[in-house]
Amino acid sequence: MTTEDQHYKNKDTDYEVDTLTNDRLIKGHEYDGIRELDNDLPPWWKWLFILCIVFATIYLVRLWVFRSDDLIQRKEFEKELAVMKTSAAVTASNAEAFELVLLSDGVSLANGKETWLKICSVCHLLDGGGLVGPNMTDNYWIHGNKIEDLFAVLENGVIEKGMISYKDQLSPKQRLEVTSYVLNELVGSTPSKPKEPQGDLYE
Amino acid sequence: MELQKFTYDNKLTRLFMNATIFWGLIGMLVGLTIALELIYPLMTNGVSWLSFGRLRPLHTNAVIFAFVGNGMFTGIYYSTPRLLKTSMFSELLGKIHFWGWQLIILSAVLTLPFGITVGKEYAELEWPIDIAITLVWVVFGINLIMTIVKRRVKHIYVAIWFYIATFVTVAVLHIVNSISIPVSLLKSYPIYAGIQDALVQWWYGHNAVAFFLTTPYLGLMYYFIPKAANRPVYSYKLSIIHFWALIFLYIWAGPHHLLYSALPDWAQALGVVFSVMLIAPSWGGMINGLLTLRGAWDKVREDPVLKMFVVGVTAYGMSTFEGPLLSLKSVNAISHFTDWTIAHVHIGALGWNGMLTFGMLYWLMPRLYNTKLFSVKMANAHFWLATTGMLFFAVPLYFAGFTQSLMWKEFTEEGYLKYPNFIETVVQILPMYYLRVLGGTLYITGVILMIYNLIKTAQMGTFSKIEEDEAPALHSVSHEKDKGHRILEGKPILFTILALVAILIGGIVEFVPMFMVKSNVPIIASVQPYTPLELQGRDIYLREGCYNCHSQMIRPFRSEVERYGDYSKAGESVYDHPFQFGSKRTGPDLAREGVKTGPIYKPDSWHYNHFLSPQKMISQSIMPPYPWIINNDLDISSTPKKIRVMQLLGVPYPDGYAEKANEDLKKQANKIAQGLRDGGIEVEDGKEVIALIAYIQRLGTDIHKTE
Repeated sequence: MTTEDQHYKNKDTDYEVDTLTNDRLIKGHEYDGIRELDNDLPPWWKWLFILCIVFATIYLVRLWVFRSDDLIQRKEFEKELAVMKTSAAVTASNAEAFELVLLSDGVSLANGKETWLKICSVCHLLDGGGLVGPNMTDNYWIHGNKIEDLFAVLENGVIEKGMISYKDQLSPKQRLEVTSYVLNELVGSTPSKPKEPQGDLYE
Repeated sequence: MELQKFTYDNKLTRLFMNATIFWGLIGMLVGLTIALELIYPLMTNGVSWLSFGRLRPLHTNAVIFAFVGNGMFTGIYYSTPRLLKTSMFSELLGKIHFWGWQLIILSAVLTLPFGITVGKEYAELEWPIDIAITLVWVVFGINLIMTIVKRRVKHIYVAIWFYIATFVTVAVLHIVNSISIPVSLLKSYPIYAGIQDALVQWWYGHNAVAFFLTTPYLGLMYYFIPKAANRPVYSYKLSIIHFWALIFLYIWAGPHHLLYSALPDWAQALGVVFSVMLIAPSWGGMINGLLTLRGAWDKVREDPVLKMFVVGVTAYGMSTFEGPLLSLKSVNAISHFTDWTIAHVHIGALGWNGMLTFGMLYWLMPRLYNTKLFSVKMANAHFWLATTGMLFFAVPLYFAGFTQSLMWKEFTEEGYLKYPNFIETVVQILPMYYLRVLGGTLYITGVILMIYNLIKTAQMGTFSKIEEDEAPALHSVSHEKDKGHRILEGKPILFTILALVAILIGGIVEFVPMFMVKSNVPIIASVQPYTPLELQGRDIYLREGCYNCHSQMIRPFRSEVERYGDYSKAGESVYDHPFQFGSKRTGPDLAREGVKTGPIYKPDSWHYNHFLSPQKMISQSIMPPYPWIINNDLDISSTPKKIRVMQLLGVPYPDGYAEKANEDLKKQANKIAQGLRDGGIEVEDGKEVIALIAYIQRLGTDIHKTE
């Protein structure tokens, strides 16, 4: 008998078995005392792998062959933009029905204060005393002191001075609320560190 | 059969072990410091080298390369000679490797906090250190491969396969990603720019996770779990399949860090599908680790070493399932740029790498010192501290990431952003940041307990510098013919070459089109190089590590376009050496900070005041103040050299511009400073803050010039 035959014959009869699990140990596989078992790949693992490969193939074919819109991010964005336009239309219709009059009810002023603290205070400070932006508590105004004037500043910004337009960030209602808050509550109050007056005095 | 005698050197194992413990503690303490800084931004007020942006790279580098790096070398230098029945090839090379590696870490400690950085995540170290890393890595490689060559066991065990893959891949990753042109001894610009640099960087970054944090530790798992449990490995077949699948597939997955960025769709898709295909190969490792413990579960209940291994391998399974999940575009749209990512990587680092390292140390120490562990009780306490610490760390951050992302995306009924001011979304998740600190503290307490326990163990026993063993010489062992994969296991050089081929394919397929096909980076004519002042300002931005908290990549989502302005295009960053897309938004995106018609523009004076005191401008801000930028004089002596290096890299400054650059710089600085002075701010032209403001105000403006 050649060694090759012997090896073949031994294959079925000569296996050692791991006594704790009854699994077959592989002969000759021993490294610093570490043995290896002859277990097959777990079927669920094999199927998981195959499924993932199938997913990958379908994904790439959909992108590279069929150019599916949902895998092209520019198209995805355009679709989302269409939704944005619809809601912009809603905003525009809101704006039409909207009257530019100073508000003085408590809810509106509270909303206005919230917007002030969140947005405007970043440059005009929490108490309106001004820092990067002008002092909003005194009676000196660069662009006028009427509600229309303040509203216009929010609408168009004063870009050369660093004041951006809030047209896209605040709804007309929010802009009206915050300008009302400024005129009703901030003007005449006493901030902790008022910035020196800028603009013209309005009585 | 004649037996040959030889010895194993335990001295080097012990050195690496001590270094693992030492740097592990340091790396984690730095992590705890920066976690505290996010809650108390004024904690290190005015101390530049303790600021978050400078320490965060130190934390990541220390944990990855110092803690896990030394951890892997500990295990490799212990297991490799034993698995191959030979001593290591060269004790001298081993020593050079050890001391070289520690010097590299030391140089990281001495450079990163001082703002000496390339500005690429996990590859921050400057070029001389990069060269040192390459040399030391080659020393390690020679020692490893030559030990394998002179082995007395014909076939190499699966742990060794993983060590080989680690060696070749880390070498390739490090060299390709680090190529840069020096400006001076401690400053260089990477040769890649913008989206191409991003692709190379995340190919590197992702595979640093794969081949520095994963494959070597899988090798350690394959050695220490069967040894500690005294059980055979569950399936040899599974080892083969999951090894080759893992190393081949992993290398492709880098682009999943750039989903919804300006990277072309085809490359993003490769990132998605290869990440998904990685689930099974990764879980192959977990299964082989856990099922090896069949028949030993009663021991697992008793033995802190095995307990730690079980939690470590389970954490590996969790994070390798989560990884592919996060690579799906729909999930990534929510998770990216948030604390979700931070939670994810810490399941890997604290769970997989940490627990496996601790288990290994508890197993090794008594063996090296011929004694028993000083206190099993204390090790069990460590186990519970580490496990609960990890959960207290990760769960709040999952919650934080998810919450913040939804807040970023929420619109009012009228179609406006519900939370237009970024700070609102930060304040909302601050309680989670406190819990993270609690989790980290628990985890570190466990480590301190371990250090005490290990020192006591060492004191109880006597260290065996060497261990003797004997085995027959290789040629006289076997005449059997090998079949299939067994052939490869007997030919380690061929094995190494095939592993190299397997890991090169993915990178080549992604890089070649990205660099050769022009349509992948469409040219935008209005995009111009930075002015000299802006370039200097950009280097300050890099030095301070702003990219650790601010991204420069607006994704094509309505919520981001509304908040930050038009989404980022590939052609906008073609002169960005390196790119600064960032990976986390602790603060808002800055890609269009300078666009005057955009939604986030602030005037120069705002920026000046904000750098001086962020809390003065936004009272709840968690950004630290930067008084040194206000006070430091800008060093303009480097300008000509910087322009020349940029020209070398293909940035189209006019010929001879380097010599005239500082004239333009001064003019622009004077204009900005004069504007500030007109607004009542006392500032000189030559201060660093002027350059930084110039850079910030340039961001994102080029494509608006033609409109």
